[in-house]
Amino acid sequence: MTTTAQPQRRRRRTGSRAERRFALLFLLPAVALVLTFRIVPLLWGFGLSLTDATGLQQGQFIGLGNYAEMAGDPNFRAAMRNTVILLLTLPVWVLLPMILASLIHLGVPGGRLYRSVYFFPAVLSSVIVGSIFNVVLRYDGALNALLGFAGLPAIDWLGSGSTALLSLLTVQLWATFGMSLLIFLAGLSTLSSEMIEAARLDGARLWQVWGYVILPAMRPIIEFVAVVTTIGVLTNMFGLIYVLTAGGPGTATTLPEFLIWLEQGQMGRPGYAAALSMVLFALMAGIAWIQIRIMSRNAGL
Amino acid sequence: MTFKALLIATTACLGGQAMAQTLTIWDWKSGDPVAASYFDAVREAFAAAHPGVTLNFVNQPIDQYYTLLGTALASGQGPDVFLLNGGAQARARMDALTDLTPQAEGLVGLTEFQDADGAVRALPISIQGFVVYYNKDRYSEAGLDPEAPPQTWAELASACEAINAAGAVPCFALGNKEGYGAEFFLSSVGASMLSEQAQQQFATGDLTWSSPEIAAILQAWVDTQGMGWYQPGANSTAKFMDEYEMFMRGDAANTIGLLSDVAHWKQFEDFLGAESIGAFRHPAPEMIADHAMIPVAGGIGYGVNAAGGNVDLATALVETLASAGPIQVFVNDAGVVPANTAVDTSGLASPTAGTILGWLDSSGVTMAHANVTAEELAEWHRQSQLLLNGETTVEAAAARMDDVQKAAHGG
Amino acid sequence: MANPRGRERRILRLLSVPMALLALSCVYPVYFAVNNALKTNRNYIMDRFGLVTDLTFDNFVQAWTRSNLDTYFVNSVLVTGGAVLLLLLVSSLAGFALALLRFPARRLVFVVILASLMIPVQVVLVPFYQTIIGLGLLNTRIGLILSYTAFFLPFSVYLMTAFYAGLPRELMEAARIDGARLLQVWWFVMLPMGRPALITLGILNTLYCWNDVLISLLVLQDKRTMMVGIAALRGEYTTNVPLLAAGIVLAAAPIVVLYLVFQRQIVAGIATGAVKG
Repeated sequence: MTTTAQPQRRRRRTGSRAERRFALLFLLPAVALVLTFRIVPLLWGFGLSLTDATGLQQGQFIGLGNYAEMAGDPNFRAAMRNTVILLLTLPVWVLLPMILASLIHLGVPGGRLYRSVYFFPAVLSSVIVGSIFNVVLRYDGALNALLGFAGLPAIDWLGSGSTALLSLLTVQLWATFGMSLLIFLAGLSTLSSEMIEAARLDGARLWQVWGYVILPAMRPIIEFVAVVTTIGVLTNMFGLIYVLTAGGPGTATTLPEFLIWLEQGQMGRPGYAAALSMVLFALMAGIAWIQIRIMSRNAGL
Repeated sequence: MTFKALLIATTACLGGQAMAQTLTIWDWKSGDPVAASYFDAVREAFAAAHPGVTLNFVNQPIDQYYTLLGTALASGQGPDVFLLNGGAQARARMDALTDLTPQAEGLVGLTEFQDADGAVRALPISIQGFVVYYNKDRYSEAGLDPEAPPQTWAELASACEAINAAGAVPCFALGNKEGYGAEFFLSSVGASMLSEQAQQQFATGDLTWSSPEIAAILQAWVDTQGMGWYQPGANSTAKFMDEYEMFMRGDAANTIGLLSDVAHWKQFEDFLGAESIGAFRHPAPEMIADHAMIPVAGGIGYGVNAAGGNVDLATALVETLASAGPIQVFVNDAGVVPANTAVDTSGLASPTAGTILGWLDSSGVTMAHANVTAEELAEWHRQSQLLLNGETTVEAAAARMDDVQKAAHGG
Repeated sequence: MANPRGRERRILRLLSVPMALLALSCVYPVYFAVNNALKTNRNYIMDRFGLVTDLTFDNFVQAWTRSNLDTYFVNSVLVTGGAVLLLLLVSSLAGFALALLRFPARRLVFVVILASLMIPVQVVLVPFYQTIIGLGLLNTRIGLILSYTAFFLPFSVYLMTAFYAGLPRELMEAARIDGARLLQVWWFVMLPMGRPALITLGILNTLYCWNDVLISLLVLQDKRTMMVGIAALRGEYTTNVPLLAAGIVLAAAPIVVLYLVFQRQIVAGIATGAVKG
């Protein structure tokens, strides 16, 4: 499932002794840090998920009790349902910044300015973004005023179950697409301009260049953005949820991350929160695996 | 390589532990400009009695406060003293706190900080409660007598009818994005509808949400929405502070506000002028007394970490935090209602404040929502939103609440 | 880049219109933050969107002094600087090895790093905190630097690996010269080649470290970082938006400047990137 397997390298996958030794040396700092601060706590957290720990006590070992409880927890089911909706929107999260980055790379008028400006929402914290959209999206807010001008009925964007989640996702997309755009721009910068020129001389149109030259060359970066975005939307939306909807109305915008926060802090149930986290972890790993598989298969064609 | 070198360097640098004569206090209050003079007074009073002790107040972000506190306590690294909300949050952490019953003399609002055996585990500094604040100008414009606010459910309903007929503003500003609007409503209406015995049974889980008493409150929540008391979009309005800002702009006739901290008489008077603000006790459809009641509870309180390094000194600090001298400063500057009965509140010039303080003795009863479990509260937030949106029924909501209540009380 | 021709140029120009609107929407929050930071709280409550009428610089003064932003700022700079530097070094080394070198267990290492990218921060809170205490790193800047490096490392290693893997094949062959000189290859070839990705990572990691609240809150309990100070400006009930906005403007300004300076470098990387091709 690696991104980087190059068919021709499979011939000799172990390399020379010096190469092996240096590779391990190069990886040592990264592996040491990740093991100490991420993997060990993860295993520890798994242990915690098998207990009924409260904020104060270590808790008793209760086996898979927390996981069993989850099956009957309507809030967990709602969080999973919301996650599925969120995952269905994923192509947009990858495609939008990719198309914008390609256009900037291909020389759209004003591209340099856009490149500078698209990153701004990401820099300002969710407090500012939240404050703005709180007022834009409220019932007597700017968006509904605009709809009113067009003779359309007002909608309670963040307050009604049918629109809250999509409104929240749109705000998050708007606030973070600049980061993916930046990554795509870095990837695009490795394309050799000779290749594009050559294709152009052969009479290829701009969109053909995009489809046959740029897209295939960007495969590792697209895969990277897809995986990272998935993880990002599932673990980094707390700030906006907290400010814009607080998980409501009902459970309409309760995502796993928010539920974990609720159980961990407000309910004081780290054991159950750890179990929820484990499920979220497994879910993300599964999705990432599928994404990488799809990418590799496409590359093979 | 780098990592190991850094590790060794750090461990070498770290040396000994912090000095014993430092007390660390966690709260979300000590950074508040309004409370600055109170904390200055605390420092001064404490330094006079215990010279040489350093007080390290750490103002934590409220959204991560309980996550952080839980993590620290679970690791045995909690602060010496920490602040808690009365009710569910305090009860969940009682095991980590020392018994402060001897120090609680002369304080009111203790119920929310008492454990099952009645021992006081944290000392409240302020009293919290809810009344309805109203805008006298909006009442006049709707043809209502601004000096005769509603006393009964029928009077309130007809006042709202008149305000709606005037068409300028909604009767109530309501913010229920976090479910706080429903929390306040539950306690406000419950105060006038539930007997003390019913309140206790509700707290212990013996009175269910589907019981006629509680279901009537849920029904009132739906009915008031049906009668058009609230502005549209209450579920996307934050109570703090969108709802109150709406009221402060004069865009609503009534709001259920607090007694202390914010969204109280002082803040509203600052915005709208003392002559435009009045308060009344929230009536209920079927009141058990001949007048409405107000829910009152210990607001926030400081407790001592039993696992802390210097419990005696920490106890002395909590006593100082709750003592009459500093609290007097807090009352004068921030307009809180004190938990310490020795504090003189006669200096408060506001007529509204006078009225409210008068009710504390005659009409103060249990705050229903402060006594239910955290699980029930969180679920009530959700169900109240669905009820407002018409996405569930009172029966279905009450049934779901019963399940949560039963599970939370360990059955 | 590709010298668009007549009709294509028209299409690009047409596409520029929605892109310009999007750009406009992205500038708006900056205006909103600055404009409201200059308002009094009363002015903000009465009129959120209008231009400031009650001009005051008090919020900046308040945010700076009341939340100790002066000392917190220094902490943020030291910690972010240290962590970003460490992240770039460690991740380019690891990315180089994972993308271009052959050794056993390559896939395993990559999977472990990828997996650690997916660990939700909430689950590791208590264990992570106890690890920090156990290593004696509580309340030390080094502790926070190492924590940040560890938390953002998987992302960085993954990006560097993807980036190096996307480089032209000839480069890899060039890199696979005599094993003993691999360190030089990394320093003289891979680091310059990786410049666009490294600068991107530099920008993103600076943003992550600078804006982080939760990890910093756990590790540095006394000597705070700037965003923790700002997060604590938010009261239990009240959110004084003008005061918060002032704090955020102060915190975001260095990042915006850094970004504007460095983002040109990403595209400038093409020149270097293409020479060897």
